[in-house]
Amino acid sequence: MSNLEKYVSAFTSTFLVDESALAHLKYQDIAAWDSVGHMSLMAALEEAFGIEMDIDDIIEFSSFEVGRTILSKYNVQME
Amino acid sequence: MKHIDDLSVRVIAGCSLADLQSKALPPYAPEAVAFLTAWSKQLLARPDIRAYPDAASFAYWCRPANLARLQRELGSERLRIGRGVALHIAPSNVPVNFAYSFAFGLLAGNVNIVRVPESLPAQADVLCAVAHDLLIQAKHARIAAMTTLLSYPRDDALTQRLSAAVDVRLLWGGDQTIQNLRRMPTSPRCVDIAFADRYSLCLLSAPAVLAAEIKVLQALTVGFYNDVFLLDQNACSSPHLIIWQGTVQEVEAAQARFWSAMQVLLNTKGQSPGIHAVDKYTHLCRTAILVKGTKATPTADNRVYRVALDELPENIAEHRGRFGFFFETIDNDLAQLRRIVNMRYQTLTCFGVDEHALAEAVVLHGLAGIDRVVPVGKALEIGVIWDGYDLIRAMSRIVATQ
Repeated sequence: MSNLEKYVSAFTSTFLVDESALAHLKYQDIAAWDSVGHMSLMAALEEAFGIEMDIDDIIEFSSFEVGRTILSKYNVQME
Repeated sequence: MKHIDDLSVRVIAGCSLADLQSKALPPYAPEAVAFLTAWSKQLLARPDIRAYPDAASFAYWCRPANLARLQRELGSERLRIGRGVALHIAPSNVPVNFAYSFAFGLLAGNVNIVRVPESLPAQADVLCAVAHDLLIQAKHARIAAMTTLLSYPRDDALTQRLSAAVDVRLLWGGDQTIQNLRRMPTSPRCVDIAFADRYSLCLLSAPAVLAAEIKVLQALTVGFYNDVFLLDQNACSSPHLIIWQGTVQEVEAAQARFWSAMQVLLNTKGQSPGIHAVDKYTHLCRTAILVKGTKATPTADNRVYRVALDELPENIAEHRGRFGFFFETIDNDLAQLRRIVNMRYQTLTCFGVDEHALAEAVVLHGLAGIDRVVPVGKALEIGVIWDGYDLIRAMSRIVATQ
């Protein structure tokens, strides 16, 4: 699985949303991405990429798009 | 370890007392981490976890990345192993507390007997059910053999027999419960770690509250709400007293801004039970009689009761309320704080002040209490450092070499 596929899969499996809804998805846009959903998503991403995210990055992870930039800090490149 | 007979207890997860095997593990043993991270993953994957933010927070705390970080913090300069068998007497005021207590014991490398309170809300059942399902799997057999989550009605004779058989006791509860448990004979080497009644407070900088952008102010109110209202101010770390810093004018303006923002947030949270309002009102009357200089601030809808005091009595901790009842005062040089703090004081949450400087002030002034200074919103975030103890170190022993 490519990094982008893993990234997409963390969202779709955590929030049970369709891939097509992801591009503009932001925190609290959908009921599933509330504060509890956010914890599930962060745990899923850390596991998928074998990383430990800083608390500041976890707080700033506010959208599908922003998340891509944040993960690049952990050497997770997505083309 | 002395053999423990099968006492008349209800085993919720893990093995029976008679089948418990006593071999300890080193701290953060792979088997223990594998079990806790599996527990975390299963919990976070449940659709119903959304209804239980406290159970979700526990699961999040047990995620692999966090446990790896904690293991690094412990370091490996010393060879360590769990002390042996740990008995956990968990409290009923914090529904998920037993799970943390168990996790601390397991991460330290101990065999764990965890008494889960009998009447806990649904999230405790979810935690137990998931633990049970994991512990019957072959891959967690080692952990299952060193784990008994059990429940029994209050029975001192039974607690006494368990106490006599263990090497560590984690005792959570009110002062009386702790005193009662302390009187029970234990083995000479047994280590007791007691979490008795504690009192917590909050320090807010008026200029910082006034200068906060609207988003920051909202985040502050959400954090304060979580600290106070998630557990109805029953948790030891929930603040009951608010110390403001700033000039009188600044504090008045900051109070107006903070509390009206709190009101906006509270309005989104649905009705609070009438009995809570009655509790706060009667507590206010009691306070008016017992505490000199009580000045009540009018309440909008009975959700928040505020009492302003120019001078805090030394025993202010004895006047704690519940469900959203606060004392407020101004204390710019911390002179009042220094006068009131005793060993009962636990968590100081703060906003707009340097938390490290506050922690240093505790040490500098030799205060008998306050073991935690954290930002507003973090009051309930329990961890391996709690109540001034380093629990992993305290529950493991060092095997020393020269």
